[in-house]
Amino acid sequence: MAEFTLAIASGKGGTGKTLISTNLGVLSAEEDGLTVLVDCDAEAPNDHLFFPQGPRKAHPVQVPIAQVEAARCTACGLCRDACAFGAIRMLGKARVFEELCHPCGVCVAVCPTGAIREIPQRVGEIEILRPAGREHLILVTSRLDIGQVKTPNVIQAARSTAGQFPARMVLLDSPPGVACAAVASLRGADALLLVTEPTAFGLHDLELSLQLGRNLDVPMAVLVNRDVPGDTSVETLCRRWEVPIVARIPFSRKVAETYARGGLMVEESPEFRELLRPIPSLMRGLRAGKVVQA
Amino acid sequence: MKSVAIASGKGGTGKTTLTAVLAWMASRELEVTLADADVEASNLPLALQVHSPTCTAFQGGGKARISEADCSSCGLCQEVCRFEAVLTPRPGVFRVDSLSCEGCGHCVRICPAGAIEMLPTCIGEACQGQCRTGPIAFGQLGPGQDLSGRLVTEVRRLGLEAAQEKGSDLLLIDGPPGTGCPLIAALASTDLVLAVTEPTLSGVHDLDRLAQVATRFRIPVRVVLNKADLAPEGARRLRETCQVQGLPVWAEIPYDPVFAGTLQAMSTDPQLQPRTDSAAWIAAGEVWKALARELDLPSPLAAR
Repeated sequence: MAEFTLAIASGKGGTGKTLISTNLGVLSAEEDGLTVLVDCDAEAPNDHLFFPQGPRKAHPVQVPIAQVEAARCTACGLCRDACAFGAIRMLGKARVFEELCHPCGVCVAVCPTGAIREIPQRVGEIEILRPAGREHLILVTSRLDIGQVKTPNVIQAARSTAGQFPARMVLLDSPPGVACAAVASLRGADALLLVTEPTAFGLHDLELSLQLGRNLDVPMAVLVNRDVPGDTSVETLCRRWEVPIVARIPFSRKVAETYARGGLMVEESPEFRELLRPIPSLMRGLRAGKVVQA
Repeated sequence: MKSVAIASGKGGTGKTTLTAVLAWMASRELEVTLADADVEASNLPLALQVHSPTCTAFQGGGKARISEADCSSCGLCQEVCRFEAVLTPRPGVFRVDSLSCEGCGHCVRICPAGAIEMLPTCIGEACQGQCRTGPIAFGQLGPGQDLSGRLVTEVRRLGLEAAQEKGSDLLLIDGPPGTGCPLIAALASTDLVLAVTEPTLSGVHDLDRLAQVATRFRIPVRVVLNKADLAPEGARRLRETCQVQGLPVWAEIPYDPVFAGTLQAMSTDPQLQPRTDSAAWIAAGEVWKALARELDLPSPLAAR
């Protein structure tokens, strides 16, 4: 079990979650000890692009999916009636539409002839990477297979893989949005860092994420990316929600260019490093109930 | 009527901005209807100012609830639940965490005391309205709810309905990020995917995943390279990747804060008109012309 789990999230995509997660990962590993960075954006996992070298190992994520043994199926329709997800139709015999199967096990329980079994099927993979030259950093990537839809299962598998390491810090680079994938990534985290930008879209989506964080009852703080000097829109919103702003990253072409080629800002800019440095201890303080100055 | 999904894989590449600009251009020449299929972060209505939308609650599957008075504390519900949704706040007390409950009903069936019932839940809302370019459909999922794919399907249905009523030539669908169920729901039976990408390593990587999904559903993909001048090396790599994969690049839009900023400003000022003289706007015009030609839309501009 990790000592501290920090989720990095945002409602809107492209606000800088990956930028902050990868750089915080490097920083935390150097200054704090063993850090596991988990790329929970299973539909668009990009953290690995910033760590091209190092031994890696992948294993499949399998989910039990209901399958009907036609010879034993009497076409009674009980499984179809019981399935809350409409995943079973009667086409002569019962047939399971795999992408709709949740897998809850209800059909297996109701089938009077034992014709339904759950068979593990691959929906994605987990990759463990030990980035070269970074002794205390481990990257765990969740990756949904193309055409698959069981994103939350892949994220959960990545998180339990990460949980096997005795880490000082686990960072969860979370998927955008506020639906099941985001919940799979945020649930049970010790604190939540919301990355936003001072635009109308950014603010609108930040508020949805704040609501999600409240529903999950996790302490939150906000990081303003591509900050515009003099802009107070994020501050006003954060004050209303009583959530502190822990860092502001000014807009810079240098950051955009470095990110574009897969570079790490903490290694190229001491100023950037200083902007991120206080975040882990601020987030630990937030968890401990300390008032963090906005 | 033709329908086009604007998608990206990676978030924040400029899907909504491009959708709004294309809608603006389209609305000058023909009838266009919009559907915002990003129900987790619905921003298109902000950009194009929806007025007096009609919204209806969207019902999800249902959530289990345990009646404490009837519960015999046997714990069977916790045993069968695959989603770890049955919690024990105190020994002998069983409670359902509604954010974890997926509504399968297994606990309801198994409970020997009949203490569990399914309650219907509202997972969000689906809306239809008018915006600055014509009809628009959109939705918003309640934070923490699942089944976003079903709500996307409902928004797409509302968009199609509005488009048919209006006799639209074109349905533009602003897609969600990712490659999972919301995206697949947004792509269903569209004629074309317009992939908006950016010249970052992440942009290239996610474009590749998006193209693979679209190809699986046999939907042609055309690429728009946004913020093209931000990273010349990345842009070169993107062009190469697209060439190797046979993905036509329709336009390269330079990085232009005014371009995106205009839309943000339009969201608060109904009188504001977009700046049509910027390099980014002109490049987006190329996308519109190419789209009108490819789909054989009745556009006088493209015919020229």
